[in-house]
Amino acid sequence: MDTTQLLKGVLDLAVLAALRDEDGYGYDILRRLRSAGLEEVGDASVYGTLRRLFNAGFLTTYVVPSDEGPHRKYYGLNAAGRAELQRSGKIWHGFASIMNDLLREREMA
Amino acid sequence: MNPTGQDEITAYLEGVREALAGLPEATCQELLEDLPEHLAEVRAEGEGTLIDRLGTPQAYAAELRATAGFVGGFPDPPPDRWAPFHQARTDVLRLLGRADVRIGPVLGYPKASDFLVLLRPAWWLLRGYLAAMAIAYLFDGSGHRGLLPRIGGSDLLALILLAGCVVLSITLGRRSTVRVGWPKLALWSGSAFLVIFAMAGFVYADDSVRDPGYSGVSSYDANPYSNVSDVFVYDSSGKLVVGARLFDQDGNPIQLGSAYCQNPETGETTHSFRMGYPFCLEREPFASPAPSPSSPTPGPSKPAPGPSDPAPGPSDPAPGPSDPAPGPSIPAPSPSVHSGRPSLPSPSGP
Repeated sequence: MDTTQLLKGVLDLAVLAALRDEDGYGYDILRRLRSAGLEEVGDASVYGTLRRLFNAGFLTTYVVPSDEGPHRKYYGLNAAGRAELQRSGKIWHGFASIMNDLLREREMA
Repeated sequence: MNPTGQDEITAYLEGVREALAGLPEATCQELLEDLPEHLAEVRAEGEGTLIDRLGTPQAYAAELRATAGFVGGFPDPPPDRWAPFHQARTDVLRLLGRADVRIGPVLGYPKASDFLVLLRPAWWLLRGYLAAMAIAYLFDGSGHRGLLPRIGGSDLLALILLAGCVVLSITLGRRSTVRVGWPKLALWSGSAFLVIFAMAGFVYADDSVRDPGYSGVSSYDANPYSNVSDVFVYDSSGKLVVGARLFDQDGNPIQLGSAYCQNPETGETTHSFRMGYPFCLEREPFASPAPSPSSPTPGPSKPAPGPSDPAPGPSDPAPGPSDPAPGPSIPAPSPSVHSGRPSLPSPSGP
């Protein structure tokens, strides 16, 4: 088992979570995820996930002109996005606690 | 942003687009929609080339594809109807790639495709020639096909057309930028058409060379007996043998003619039930002319008896009591011969 496989299942949730407190543009979000410890996440994954979340109606987007470089496309959570983050977050917590219990039992046995 | 950066982004984008070709068009569009801006952001963000930081375009596309394939809790993208075909294409490409590496060393190259790449200008030449031939084929109605693309039989026009097509093909070949969309499709389908056209032309040319007089001798028939419809056998005394059977040296019956008789007066065709030759007594070539009114029942109209019949041949004009003249159809040098058969002695019936 490696983190890349696990990541596929929770990437949507991870990106939603990374946008919870602050809007961000693609590379910025990638940096947040990596600094949070998800070192394996790739730029294409984040970009693709952002596209998909946006198409699913969970994100708002706006372009911010930049002085030293190209324009940046910022993404932020809308109401549906926040609801989805909460729903998926619950699922994750449930799943994670099951896994934790399972692993703890094994260790005790 | 420097211009080389823009070029780099365009090239990278093109690579990703190529690698995503297997995805449904809608998904592909959706994934690529923002990619130019995103890549520009990434490039502006730090040092190093895009490939250094993001991996190859193929790897990037694979990651995008994996992201697009996973849909946790979101509406499914439309199913890929062409998935089996894409799968088959991938399999074929993999096999080809393996063959490429295997065959290469035999030819003295790392990969067979390295050698084939060297042949590209030759293909451009050939493509130009084939295109010229195809144009000539379409516009020349004469049906006389040569090896030059003649329209209306003009050699000069043919050479000009040939030169034009070859130059055009080479120009097209040298502008070998990555093509997408319909120009790529047009180029490939055009090439496929030319290959098929070339094969057809090759077979045609090969046939013509191997059998040059084919069309000229088609009316010639090697069998001199194909026009024979009946056989008339005469014995040494010039008498017609009725019911004759013919055999070859092995005892096999010789089949000549057909057992159908046409009545010369009515034009009616009837089947002959005679055993042996002739089938149609009425058509005997050396027979006497049509019976005169004074000889009501001459031989020819009477059905022939079997071969053992001792009676004179029914067509024999000699017994005819009032036979006035020799048959007009005989090349008769001596009309005084009573039997009417100049080259044969008078019949002497047994």
